[in-house]
Amino acid sequence: MNEQAKKARDIITNYKGRPLRIMEVCGTHTHEIFRLGLRKLLPENVELISGPGCPVCVTPVGFIDEAIWLALEKGCIITTFGDLIRVPGTEMPLAGARAKGAQVRPVYSPLDAVEMARQNPDEQIVFLAVGFETTTPSACLAVETAKKEGLKNFSLLTANKTMPNAYNALEGSADAFLYPGHVNAIAGTEICEELKKRGVSGVVAGFTASELLTALAVILVNAEKGEPFFVNCYPRVVKAEGNPSARELVKRVMEPCDTEWRGLGVIPMSGMKLRDEFAEFDARKKFGMPKITGKPNPACRCGEVLQGKCKPSDCKVFGKVCTPEHPVGACMVSDEGACAAYYQYGGV
Amino acid sequence: MCVGLSAKVVSVKDGTALIDANGAKREVSADLLEELEPGDYVMVHAGVAIAKITESDEDEANDVMENLL
Repeated sequence: MNEQAKKARDIITNYKGRPLRIMEVCGTHTHEIFRLGLRKLLPENVELISGPGCPVCVTPVGFIDEAIWLALEKGCIITTFGDLIRVPGTEMPLAGARAKGAQVRPVYSPLDAVEMARQNPDEQIVFLAVGFETTTPSACLAVETAKKEGLKNFSLLTANKTMPNAYNALEGSADAFLYPGHVNAIAGTEICEELKKRGVSGVVAGFTASELLTALAVILVNAEKGEPFFVNCYPRVVKAEGNPSARELVKRVMEPCDTEWRGLGVIPMSGMKLRDEFAEFDARKKFGMPKITGKPNPACRCGEVLQGKCKPSDCKVFGKVCTPEHPVGACMVSDEGACAAYYQYGGV
Repeated sequence: MCVGLSAKVVSVKDGTALIDANGAKREVSADLLEELEPGDYVMVHAGVAIAKITESDEDEANDVMENLL
């Protein structure tokens, strides 16, 4: 450990200021903080709570039902990031739909789904487009590529989301946010500066041990000053301007819409949908999908976990009925989910 | 799904970069970054290079801490 990292660690362990609740917006932060044992460094008056920054976790049950409808009723091949496959729908997850004949293929990138469409011209390939500012550009790139090549057998089922309005919904949940570094790599830091003007504090954080130690130390030092603050602790990746090319791409292909977040309900203009000129790539329109409303399992408290209102271990099904092998809620499925992190690392 | 992958650029051609992530090589889109060159380090997300990495995490942490204290 270098000198600066030791200083950061000492600031954390010796903190004696007011009680603080710090929200990790990003699920990868939750996992890395657990994995690195950083929670054990925190004094009793500093609490880390998990936020809604895992795209899989905030995807509502109805979205899974929609994907299953496309697979079973329309015979589409569903391509998706792997962790969505085991997220429960109203009756079953996509993994369960496979047993009924659904074709579900995990891919690393939406561009891999486009390649699948090229190679299988007689099949309809649907990519499940979930994710925040970080992931949405890759879905838009896939659509632009498909349009350019005249592919007629590729489309998206969209559930893309954006963070700014979610921060509004979360206002008051925490004393400071660990902002999700890779969202800011695209979006830039203007939103964080705006939040600071409204009294919301936070830091953009990276993902390594020294970056997370530094970010936590910066929060604690600034919190003692008592003024709203924002510090970019991840400048090697996050620039103030973000990635303008990515934002322009998204603006060409998608537009804001209201969208449902698991646990937070519908947040106005916090989602992204394909623009009308790309309607042929919108799976809901292309296949005439009816309105499908999901019904979450009432025993699951993922919604409250995502808002920092309870810990995973406060949920009565956690670790009993709900395990990574048999998840009841989305937060137990994804490697980025808070419940999966608590289960894996013992809730320390 | 949200895990970023840091990688070294091996070559760039027609909007596609060949990257090396700890020995694993893969082609990713370079469409969203300007002036990408072999030897650059990038953050890759879902098959797309989204940002250049400009220094090591330790140097970065040193800079941030020096400004803090």
